[in-house]
This record gives sequence, C-alpha cells and structure tokens, in this order.
Amino acid sequence: MKRGLALLTVLAMTAGTLAGCGGSKDAPAAEQPVQEEQAAEGAGTETAKEDNAGAEGKTEITFWHYMSEDKEGKFVNEAVEEFNNSQDEIYVNAQYLPREELMKQYTIGVVSGELPDCGMVDNPDHNSYASMGVFADITDLYNSWEEANFMEGSINSCYYDGKLYGLPWGNNCLGLFYNKEMLDAAGIAVPTTWTELEAACEKLTTDSCKGLAISAIGNEEGTFQYMPWLLSSGGSVMDLTSDGSKESMTYLYNLIEKGYVSRECVNWTQADAEKQFAAGQAAMMINGPWQFSGLADDAPDLDYGVAKVPKADSGEYASVLGGENVAICAGANMEASWTFLTWITSKEKSQEICKSIGRFSPRADVDVQEMFEGDPLNSVFAEVMPGAQSRGPSPDWPEISAAIYTAQQEVFTGQKDVDTAMADAQAKIDAINQK
Amino acid sequence: MKHFNAKQKNVLMNIVAVLVACIFLFPLYWIVVNSFKLDSEIFAGTPTLWPQQFTLKAYQEQIGSLSVTLKNSVIIAIGSMALALCLSVPAAYGLARYKVRGMKIFVLIFLITQMLPASLVLTPLFLIFSKLGILNSYFAPILSTATISIPFVVLMLRPGFLNMPKELEDAAKIDGCNAFSAFFKIALPICKPTVITAACFSFVFAWNDLAYSMTFNVKEAMRPMTSAIYTFMNQYGTEWNSIMAYGVLLILPSCFIFVTMQKHIVEGMTSGSVKG
Amino acid sequence: MGANKVDRKEQMLGYLFIVPAVVYMLIFIGYPIIYNWIVSFQDVTAMTLGSDARDFLGFANYRAVFADATFRKALVHTFVYTVGCLVIQFSLGFLFAMFFAKKFTFSKPIRGFIVISWMLPVTVTALVFKFMFAEGNGIINAILMGLHIIKQPIGWLLEGNTAMLGLIIANSWVGIPFNMLLLTTGLNDISTDIYEAASIDGATGWQKFVRITVPLLKPTIMSVLVLGFVLTFKVFDLVYVMTGGGPVDATEVLSTYSYKLSFQLFHFGEGAAVANILFICLFLVALIYLKTISRDEMM
Repeated sequence: MKRGLALLTVLAMTAGTLAGCGGSKDAPAAEQPVQEEQAAEGAGTETAKEDNAGAEGKTEITFWHYMSEDKEGKFVNEAVEEFNNSQDEIYVNAQYLPREELMKQYTIGVVSGELPDCGMVDNPDHNSYASMGVFADITDLYNSWEEANFMEGSINSCYYDGKLYGLPWGNNCLGLFYNKEMLDAAGIAVPTTWTELEAACEKLTTDSCKGLAISAIGNEEGTFQYMPWLLSSGGSVMDLTSDGSKESMTYLYNLIEKGYVSRECVNWTQADAEKQFAAGQAAMMINGPWQFSGLADDAPDLDYGVAKVPKADSGEYASVLGGENVAICAGANMEASWTFLTWITSKEKSQEICKSIGRFSPRADVDVQEMFEGDPLNSVFAEVMPGAQSRGPSPDWPEISAAIYTAQQEVFTGQKDVDTAMADAQAKIDAINQK
Repeated sequence: MKHFNAKQKNVLMNIVAVLVACIFLFPLYWIVVNSFKLDSEIFAGTPTLWPQQFTLKAYQEQIGSLSVTLKNSVIIAIGSMALALCLSVPAAYGLARYKVRGMKIFVLIFLITQMLPASLVLTPLFLIFSKLGILNSYFAPILSTATISIPFVVLMLRPGFLNMPKELEDAAKIDGCNAFSAFFKIALPICKPTVITAACFSFVFAWNDLAYSMTFNVKEAMRPMTSAIYTFMNQYGTEWNSIMAYGVLLILPSCFIFVTMQKHIVEGMTSGSVKG
Repeated sequence: MGANKVDRKEQMLGYLFIVPAVVYMLIFIGYPIIYNWIVSFQDVTAMTLGSDARDFLGFANYRAVFADATFRKALVHTFVYTVGCLVIQFSLGFLFAMFFAKKFTFSKPIRGFIVISWMLPVTVTALVFKFMFAEGNGIINAILMGLHIIKQPIGWLLEGNTAMLGLIIANSWVGIPFNMLLLTTGLNDISTDIYEAASIDGATGWQKFVRITVPLLKPTIMSVLVLGFVLTFKVFDLVYVMTGGGPVDATEVLSTYSYKLSFQLFHFGEGAAVANILFICLFLVALIYLKTISRDEMM
C-alpha cells in the first residue's frame, strides 16, 4: 500500500517540479505514453481502437451504428468484415454508439464537423436529420442504381423535400411474446383482444411475476411501443384528444394500476422488457423480432411464442413500422460510402443481414413471407409487417414523439390524468405544426 | 446513564458507534455484495444479504469495455492532478509567504470559483472547446476538472505554508538559495504530507467527475468509467450486478486512498472547503 | 530606496507563484461565466453553433425560460431539495458530531470511516441508491415490508414526491459526514472548562447544549449551513443519474434542466439563461457566506 502511495506522490511531485521550470509540456518519463495518447487524440486521430491493420492501402471510411455489440452488433461487425475482405479498395471502420448518443452526435457533428462517412439512423428521425443537413443528397446516385428496389413505405422515410437522403436497411415491428409454459399452466389461450389480454394478465400476475412487460421509457422507444395501442383503438398522432386515442392510454394505465404491468416500465427500454421476460418476471411482453437472438442467449430453455399485439375490442390489429436507414453524411467520402451502402442493402446481403439481426428486408424484391414460411416466430412478424404503419415522415418527428412519450409517462406515473396529459400533448403538437 | 460506570459506558458507546457506522455504510456494502451475485438472483425479487452463489461473472463481463474506460479514467485523473498541483501548490505557497498587493482579491477568487458548479460553465466551455476543436480529446476533461481541484488545493495548503517557520527559508536564502529553490527544497519537503493529501484529492475529484467528461467526451473510445457506467445503466438498467461491479471498480481508488491516509484526508477536507 | 526595491522584488516573486493559478481559473471559470451571459442573449442552437454571426435576442431566452412550466417547477424543486437536504444532513450531522465528540475508544476511527461516503464518486452513490429504492427488488422496500411498515412495495423513484425524498436521502448520505466534520472542528474549539464550570453550577445536559454549545458554535453553524446550501443547490450528478429529473419532470432541478436544454434539446441560449439564474441564486448566498467568514477566519 505504502509503495502505491509513494508512486503517486513521486508522480505528482515530479510533475509539480517540472512545471515550475517550464510549463506542463515536458512530462516526466513515466507519463510519456499518456502524453503521446493525448497528442494523438488532440490532433484528431480517430479512436483508440487499433484495428487499422486491415486498412493498409485502402480507403478508410467510418460507419456508425447503434446495434449493441453483445447482441445484433456482432452480426453488423461480421457483415462489415465480410465487406472489407470482399474487395481491396475500401476499409470500413464500424463504430458502435448507443442510440441516444448517436443521435446527439449527428446533431453536434453538423457543426463540429465530426461526422462519420456514413451511418445508421432510426427511420422516424431520418427526416429531422436530413433537414438539419446531416446527410448528403443521394438522389442521382440512387436513380442510376440498378438494384434500387425498395418497398414504398420504407424508401419514403428517406425522402426529405423531394430529395433522397438514405437507403432503408432493415424493418421491424412489434408483436406479443408469450411464455407458453405460464399460459398453459394458467389454462388460457393467447389473448387477441384487449379484454382477453386483461383477463390473461389477471390470471398470470403473481407476487413474483407480472402479466405483461412493456417499455414506456422517455424516448423514441416509449412512443414506438405505444403506437400499436393508439392505432388499434382508432387513435392517431394527429388527434390525441379523440376518444380512440384516450381509450388506448386509459387501457394501458389501467393495466399498470391493477398491477399487471410493472410501474417500472417508465424506466425500461425494450431491452429491459426482454430481460424481464427472459427471467420469468413477466409472462408476456410487447417486443420485436430483434429480441430473438437476445432471448436465445438469456434464456435458451424458454419456450415462448409470438402473436399479434392484441387489438382493441372494437378495433383492428395494428402495428408500428420500426427500422433503420443508412445514409451518407455531409462532406463524407461519397464514392466509397455509396459502394459500401449499396453492398449492405443489395438483395442478397439485405436478406442475409436482416435475418441475422432480427429485421425484415425493406427490399421489394425480397419476399419475407416466403422466406420465413414454416418459422413459427418470424412468420408472425412477416405477416404483420405489410400493415405496420410508419411514424412520420416529418422533420419534426422527434418533437412530436417527445410530446407523446411525455404524456405516456405523465399518465403512468400518476402526475396527470389521461384527459389532461393528452390535451397537453396535443397542444404541443399543434404548436409544432403551426411553426 | 448514571447506572453505568465509566468502563461500561465506554463499551456501550463503542457498540452504538459500530451499529451507527454499519447502518450508515450499508450502501457501500450493498454495492460490493451485489457485484458478486448472478443477475438471476437479483431479478428474483426478494433481495438477499449475501450472494446465494458467489460469482465473478459480472466482473468478467465488464473486462472488455474496461480496458478502454479504465485507461481513459486514469489518464484524465492523473493529467488533471498534475496540472492542478503545478498551478495550485505554488499559488498556495505564494499566498502564504509573500505579502503581495491584491492578496485579498486572489483568495476571494479561489473562494468563489470553488463554489461554482460545473453545470454553470458546461454550456460555455462546450462552445469554447468545440471552437478549439478539443472535444472528444483528453484535454477537455483534464482542463475542466482541474478547475475543481485548484481552488480546493490552494485553500487547503495555504494554512500549512502559513504555519511553517519562516526562519528555515531565511536561513536557506542566506546560504544562497533563491526563492524557487527555497520553495522546492525547503517548503515542499516540510509540507509533503499535506501536498500528498492534496494530490489525492485532485486525483479523486477528476476520477469522480461525470458532468464534464460526459459532456465533452461523447465518443465511446474517449469515455472514462463514470460516464461509461452511466451509459451502461441507460441501456441495461436492470443488470444491477454488472452496474455494481463497475461501481466497485470506480470506488476502489477513493477507498484505497482513504484507508491509507484517512487522518490527512479528514483534516484536508475541513481546511480545503472552509478556511482561506 | 533600497527597501522599496526589495519590496518590489518580493512582490514580483509572489506574483510569479500566485498568478498562474489565478489566470487559469479566470480563463476556465471566469471567462466562461461571462461568455455564458453573452450566449444567454443570443440565438444559439445546433444550427447556429458554428457560426459567429448569431442573432442577438435580448431577453427572449429569459422570457422563454420563465414562460416554461418546467423551469418554474425546476426552480421550486431546487429549493425544496436544498432545504430538505439541509435539514436532514445538518441535524443528523450535528447529532453525529455530538456523539463522536464523546471520548470513547473508537470514536475517532469510526468517525473517520463514516467520512468515506463523501469521497465516493457521486455517480456510484446515485446508482446504488437508485438500486436500493427500486420497486421490485429494492432493499428498502424489502426492509419496510419485512417490518410491516408498508404492505405494498412503493415505487420510490416512480412518483414525484417519493422520488424527491429519495434524492434528498441520497444527498444527505453524502452530506452528513461533511456537516459532521465541520461541526466537530467547531466543537473541539470550545474549551472544556466552560462545561465543567456549568456542571458545577448544576446545569443539565440540555441546558449546556442550549446555553453553551449552540451560542459558541454559532459562527460554525452559519458557515456549515451556507456552505451546505451552496453545495446542495448546485447538485447535478446525483439527480441526473438517479432520476434524470424524472419521472417526467418531477425532480427536475435548475442544473439538470440547464443541461437538458443545452445538450439534449440543443437550445444553448436557453440553457445558458437557466444556468445564469442558478448563478445569481448561488452568488447571493455566496456573498452572505463570504461576509460571515471574512469576520473571523479569512484574513
């Protein structure tokens, strides 16, 4: 112990002494590596990761994504590696940033100039970032691309002001995951309507297990998860004060009040909901196909099924279109980025990558229904996909979304009643639309 | 109390004190003990006071990201400590030894800046650093966290230098030492224990910092442990064993420094934060 | 003449020692504070961040901030939080100080150990309290239910009032040892003769406390309270990590709100305005503090 302390002191003292005679530029020998790091970073050399070995002689481009490395991210890395090995012109350096960080970085990056060459973006936010000038216009490139063939809803989210700013990379939507063992033990069928869902929750909820896990966190994920409920009861983002809109919020609040859904859901991401479900803390959950690989890791023995999100008693099944686009950033290496993006969104690769990361290919020439025929889990989502509604597109979506998830949080934590919260949210959205 | 004799009273007081300390320090215990549990045990509802199955799994899972964040934390903390000491130790000495004009104002500057919170200067510093192009580098957190320690160390060391007998330096000066060698050869060695304490404080302040490093360094490769644990919590908010394992690693330096030099820390803390 | 020259040389040497640190603080704290005022009058968003030609808005940012319901809540919360923390950490800190001032075998080491909570990274403190206050698997609910004080688990951090209470408790955990130490220093300065004299006159423990301890400690108490106010009022990390200002905005305080405006919504101008309001509050209290200590300790 004494020695460690002495070392610390020596370091401090030498640093102090040297500073006395000539500024902190001359560092003591012991700190040399530290200083080198600093100099390197200061000069703007990218990242501490030293995996440039493969980049020799190639044009290097950076690609940002938010697929966490212990889950889908490893498949992204595999795909990138495959691309790097497939040709000797371009080396793609893939970097992971958590979703919220990535969004922040795009915003700041416009000014600080620290944008990557290309990156991933959540499709409802695409318009907003395009309007801020984060992404480059690729309309001409796209028009001369032979393989340009995407589903209309997906490619539409990449258009802003009549120009194309990206390519769809993968789609997903939400469904109801249920623990077969628990449902069998309680002797209930898979719920299809809200009434059935509530009845099922009542039977399934015990001291140590909630009926249903959802995510109602205060970010885009919260809005995403709320959409199927909102849409099924005939509500709409444009009219949150309608009876249908309010009915959906009241229904969910009711599930929480009765203890069927944990109140902690306001802090849960969808990954947290998955943890609850995997650990047997919830008999059902609302989640998407990208959780399959996580569930296989967390609970390899769990016997579960997937169904559509239950519909309002007088409504229709509804789901929400989620997914990611890829785009080239302003001021980036266009040519190399375009080569890479067209490679990962090509028919062959899109099909392959999307399958491994739990997404559905947004390409019109990939028939997902056919692809997943006989797969009891994926086929449910494949069936839901065509009807899934997109959020936006609107350059103001992030603000609209904030109004919605805030209302949801206010209701779920008991700070406002449904009427007030929805009216306040609508007022915010009206103000945004009037801008 | 009258029924007890002095000896019994002493025993009783000690028992009460130990109990109070145990309750008070329970959160510390809770960090450590939960880091050795499996997440399934934490998930299982009723909390257990001791792991049913003692495991290092949470630590093993964090090793990967740790190599980067630990390095960043160490670089930032040592850099900030070195910078803060270079500036503040001489300043404390100067304020104690020289009757300069405007001394009152200088002391005031340190007193006031010590009270100002990080959140006050986050926005302007961010704008300034972004203009200088040093966001996402080690410079930004080092330069900013040093502002926490400098006033603290100046205020903490000044009384020590004031109490030092001036005759020693005078004698040295007669022997041909100039002002600087008097400082390095006489004053510093005499006040060595407090300077070491000051070093520890500056290290811990920078090590503990979240606000500055989180705001200025958003790239994963540049993140220190504090903001890494925060980001981790946002993503995997229910994996408490991993969060607590990270927490244990984060509190280690503070605990180590604290245990080895508890007495000095307690003294330094009082003088650094109140007296001028 | 000669003496004057020596004096001037001394002055120069003194400045050489002092000025670098002062200049550093002026550059990295002083200038940013002034810059903050400028920014608060400008239109600074993510779009205009890079350009130097920003629109001058007058007081528009301040008007926007005061018209904002969340800001008004944050202002109230900041005071509630600060006062709540002060009450708990001062009273318990005082109690601890009195208790450990008694001379028993382990009084000093145990007192020393308690101080560790002040040294820990606030991030970790916030995380462990967040965990302890969790609804489902939190130890606090488990204890309260075990003691049959509550029947149903409480979602501490999921409801506004209890979330604020949780924050106050967590902050007090950090603040108690700090208060205790400062008060202990004060207690040690009181001569034991006075107590002995009072005992001879037949004073009870309580009388001694009210008549001797409190009056003599008054300067210390003042500085502890004011310092505690300043340290609590500016809190950021704890709230940011533990509740993030939530649920929704129920525990939003000025510092976290300023951060959100600047770094999540990228309304730097408004963020700066909120920070300046925080600054004014702190500055007023700091003035009082400086007045109290300038009397006895500073010079």
